[in-house]
Amino acid sequence: MNIWLTQHSQALRLVISRLRASLFGNLFIALTIAVSLALPVIMYLVLTSFSGLVGSVKNDSHMSLFLAADATLTMVDSIHNTLATHSAIKQFKFNSKEEALKQLANDSQNEYIIQTLDENPLPDAFFIEPGALESTAINQLKSDLSQLDGVETVQIDDAWLKRLNYLLALGENALWVLAILLGFALFAVIGNTIRMQILTQQEEIEVSQLIGATHSFIRRPFLYSGAIYGLAGALLALIMTSCVILLFNLSIASLAAEYQTDFSLRLPDFNTLTVTCLSAILIGLISAYIAVSKSLFNSIN
Amino acid sequence: MIVFDNVTKRFPGSQEALSNASFSIEQGEMVYVTGHSGAGKSTLLKLVAAIERPTNGTVLINNQNVSKLRESALPYIRRKFGLVFQDHKLLYDRNCYHNVALPLAINGITGADAGKRIRAALDKVGLLNKEKSMPITLSGGEQQRLAIARAVVSRPSILIADEPTGNLDKNYADDILTLFSAFQQVGVTVIIATHDALGTANEHKVLHLDHGQLMSPQVVG
Repeated sequence: MNIWLTQHSQALRLVISRLRASLFGNLFIALTIAVSLALPVIMYLVLTSFSGLVGSVKNDSHMSLFLAADATLTMVDSIHNTLATHSAIKQFKFNSKEEALKQLANDSQNEYIIQTLDENPLPDAFFIEPGALESTAINQLKSDLSQLDGVETVQIDDAWLKRLNYLLALGENALWVLAILLGFALFAVIGNTIRMQILTQQEEIEVSQLIGATHSFIRRPFLYSGAIYGLAGALLALIMTSCVILLFNLSIASLAAEYQTDFSLRLPDFNTLTVTCLSAILIGLISAYIAVSKSLFNSIN
Repeated sequence: MIVFDNVTKRFPGSQEALSNASFSIEQGEMVYVTGHSGAGKSTLLKLVAAIERPTNGTVLINNQNVSKLRESALPYIRRKFGLVFQDHKLLYDRNCYHNVALPLAINGITGADAGKRIRAALDKVGLLNKEKSMPITLSGGEQQRLAIARAVVSRPSILIADEPTGNLDKNYADDILTLFSAFQQVGVTVIIATHDALGTANEHKVLHLDHGQLMSPQVVG
């Protein structure tokens, strides 16, 4: 345990002193890594912000069933019974034309209009919350309901929601592609950096092997370098991401105000931070391991 | 402690560098490996130091068969040896102190304990005042002595030197040989490869190689 600790602290100190020796160059390498990481992170945050928005709208989504003006009370009753027993309906609410008129009258701006009306032009209505949200189930429900006696129109206001969902799904695919491609870029950047370090330390590696250094002794500092590059890149990427998102939110705030929502893009949270750092460290470790294993043990045996 | 039994080493694409060599070296012996260049001296030393494995035959080091050892066990065998390479193999990107520190770092020795040992080794070869100098600023003889300091710092029981006096003039060469004798006198086995006859007062064994063939070992002194 003690030896293990000594070996690791020894390797870590060596790596830190080497990194400090060419701080400026290493900073640029970390920046390159950060840019590769920041793009998918920003995209992820934008996507999750929008799907959060969609989620909140989805919960409010409902179907409106407007009855014909001449629908009788018995018709209303039979529709009520059908809805109560329909399996695809989660819950529903009846809204009579008198209630609807009263609600309309509550808004003082409409008072004058209502006074000029001879009779109530509003229909009776049912507001339905469907159980399932898939478009096939909803369309089936719509056609079922429109065949009922006394039903004038069935209205679903989810066309725009559907389109947004498709766009988000497309965005999610694009995110994966981008993340994988930039992941490869990260492999290349870290792997090449480590290879350069190996080349400058070729003599030391050779002598060390000749006088009894184990493979892991030689590999250890390079693994630390890879992990440190990954971590530094990830932290820089998160700073970059936060700056970009804050900048976006400035312009989004005024746009959202027009729509009377307080929508804003999410800043990276703890989970995003952990996942970004861990994946960057992992990529750093793996690419360093591959680089060391490939360029090392060909000098002896 | 070192036993060669019918050891043959053949490198791919070349003839045998060492053929059917059999000999043994006891603890505390002084051994010269002689022969013209290309006779197989370096190959023999590499086989002793577990840097190469034999093509045929057995090499026993402290009763461990090198050919049968796993690849991952070889580094630990190598640590028993102090090696002085033909071309020094000093690291020119660090000072003398840190050159000597390398074997200790490999053995996991750092800090004050390492510092004491490094200075003791530098003192033994007369380079204590050059601790902070870069190897490139040292003369040929001093570089050779630095290489010896690095070889002995981890207190190996066997010291192996490949042509340690090769490029040195006679005075320097005598210095180096005196140094090796001193190590032998405190119980270290010393194995030296050399292409020219060396005069030394101490009793020593000579392994003479000719085109990879080992002449029968003789004790001189």
